[in-house]
Amino acid sequence: MDWDQFDLNPKTIAALKKADIKSVKEILNLSGADLQRLMKLSSADIQCLLKTVSRTLRRNSMVTALQLYQDKDHLTSQHQKLSLGCSVLDSLLRGGIPLMGITELAGESSAGKTQISLQLCLCVQYPYQYGGLESGAVYVCTEDVFPSKRLQQLIDQQHKLRADVPAEIIQKIRFGNSIFVERAADLDTFQQCITRRLSLLLARGMVRLVVIDSIAALFRCEFGPSESAVKARYLQTFGAQLHSLSTRFRTPIMCINQKCVILYRGVGNRVTPALGITWSNQLLMRLMVSRISLPGQSSGVASPCAGSMRTLRVVFAPHLPPSFCYYTVQLEGVKGIK
Amino acid sequence: MQREVGTLPLAPALRARLAAAGFQTAQELLDTGPCGLSKEIGISREEALEALQVVRQECHGDAARTAGGSAAARKCTALELLEEEQTQGFIITFCSALDNILGGGVQLTKITEICGAPGVGKTQLCMQLAVDVQIPECFGGVAGEAVFIDTEGSFMVDRVVDIAAACVQHCHLIAEAQQEEDHRKALETFSLENILSHIYYFRCRDYVELLAQVYLLPEFLSEHSKVRLVVIDGIAFPFRHDFEDLSLRTRLLNGLAQQLIIIANDHKAAVVLTNQMTTRIGQSHSTLVPALGESWGHAATVRLIFHWDNCQRLATLYKSPSQKESTVPYHITSHGFRDVQPPAVTHSAEGTEMNPRKRPRTEEEKH
Repeated sequence: MDWDQFDLNPKTIAALKKADIKSVKEILNLSGADLQRLMKLSSADIQCLLKTVSRTLRRNSMVTALQLYQDKDHLTSQHQKLSLGCSVLDSLLRGGIPLMGITELAGESSAGKTQISLQLCLCVQYPYQYGGLESGAVYVCTEDVFPSKRLQQLIDQQHKLRADVPAEIIQKIRFGNSIFVERAADLDTFQQCITRRLSLLLARGMVRLVVIDSIAALFRCEFGPSESAVKARYLQTFGAQLHSLSTRFRTPIMCINQKCVILYRGVGNRVTPALGITWSNQLLMRLMVSRISLPGQSSGVASPCAGSMRTLRVVFAPHLPPSFCYYTVQLEGVKGIK
Repeated sequence: MQREVGTLPLAPALRARLAAAGFQTAQELLDTGPCGLSKEIGISREEALEALQVVRQECHGDAARTAGGSAAARKCTALELLEEEQTQGFIITFCSALDNILGGGVQLTKITEICGAPGVGKTQLCMQLAVDVQIPECFGGVAGEAVFIDTEGSFMVDRVVDIAAACVQHCHLIAEAQQEEDHRKALETFSLENILSHIYYFRCRDYVELLAQVYLLPEFLSEHSKVRLVVIDGIAFPFRHDFEDLSLRTRLLNGLAQQLIIIANDHKAAVVLTNQMTTRIGQSHSTLVPALGESWGHAATVRLIFHWDNCQRLATLYKSPSQKESTVPYHITSHGFRDVQPPAVTHSAEGTEMNPRKRPRTEEEKH
């Protein structure tokens, strides 16, 4: 750490170098008394040091809410969101997926989670004015094989789904080239994937969307009921790393989760997203998809005549009320129904 | 002047040298002078000059204090404290049930902690308070400004706009019902843009940035003396990963709590923190408890726990020095944080006042 760039007394800088203090984090981790002892400076000098490094670290960090509201620059604005490619779904989410933070998509199997994720991988490649981020996507598969045939179908039908975009723009985008598929079937590989592959792709600006399909699969077999503390630590670490990548690169992270049944004593069963409150605490927004079951049918049975109608529900989000809308899965993709 | 050398705020090594050379009181140091001092204990002239400057400042400070009047060691009676507390402002939450169990609202000069599961409404209440702190005094507010420190990235300005617009609307309705001159005047400056421009937003990405920001808060609050609310949303997020050494975490959190208590007191501001819930695994079953451990529980003066009961949101006052533990339901609408049933609106002067503690206006006071 180059202490000379800070606005410090030469005596303080010399003391920092002598005490072998290498970062602002180290300074803030030590108590006032420890700093005095290590650096042999008075408490007034230490207070001055703390204020100076804090000021340098947090220079230009204040923004008023009015400035946030009026910021229309697509590189920094909060109003910028990742569209889902359908105006009905976008209006449920007030624009689309927020760019900073982890969004979870939970639901029972074959409710449409993978369909929505694939659609997002295509939407992100459109220009800013059409709700995209002009960049590619990373799709991290943790259990199933990547549905490349379905992806190809969706690519071929983009002109039908995105009637709002001129045909020549759609033709120019090489959709397949910008989707990076990663496989991570266990926790260590996943850890490597986040710290190496994802950071690299994000730092190079090649992707602006990360899909993890699914986060629950990583934890399904590995942890018994007595290892909940270890599991919680993994979840917190992954959550923090993903959150940090998301904030640094203004990239939405979409995590797919499965549903599980929790048995409550005496009160009956409750269907809830897997991974519990430790994971929920890391999320900005939780969406849930489900199939609509007709009366007289169990929800797991696929019914061709039900018209494959599904619901997309906002479970929680800081800017959205709990609400839902209907959608179907067509050949060209996921489309909301008003 | 008779202060012992060992109590002066000098570097420990310097203090040791002075003691070895036989200096005992501050007066002796001042009498020796810088040249004599540097020769006696073997330091450079600049260091001696600096040390004497520190000593002089300290003695000057001591004299001012013993002469009486400094805020550092003020003595007062419990009655004075009670009177002071009763005139202390409250920031209303717009949910009158919650305001009632809190004794009027979120109290200034105290730390209030809000705990709850994700999605229950902690950030919503923080955004509501950041707007409500700005309500003009004639409507029963404290006419302050707000600092919002966001560690999770959940501050969505569109939502704040909804809440602020609804608050302005509410004030307009009261002004129309009451037709008082100062209401109309206050509304000229109480607009959406004005409210948004007085919410100072800081985004902290990890605990180092959060600690640095809190070190800078006293200076910021001195420059922006109208700030009456500091929100940290949430305090748990940056501290729940990254810490192999939990004792370091406890020490940092304690230090943070101390600084926030001082800030709340010195600047007459309310400090509101949000905390996560974690599972505590007991013998036969597990329960949800606030995160960050037992010792953190002592940091806040007032603790609220938000939770669900089927589909109804409930707020429990879990810890308070002056109010009893109770639970009330609340609602989050498109306008923000509200009661479950809106209270009956009467058109008498007391009924439409938002703050029940405010004295009703009488004819004599108007003229």
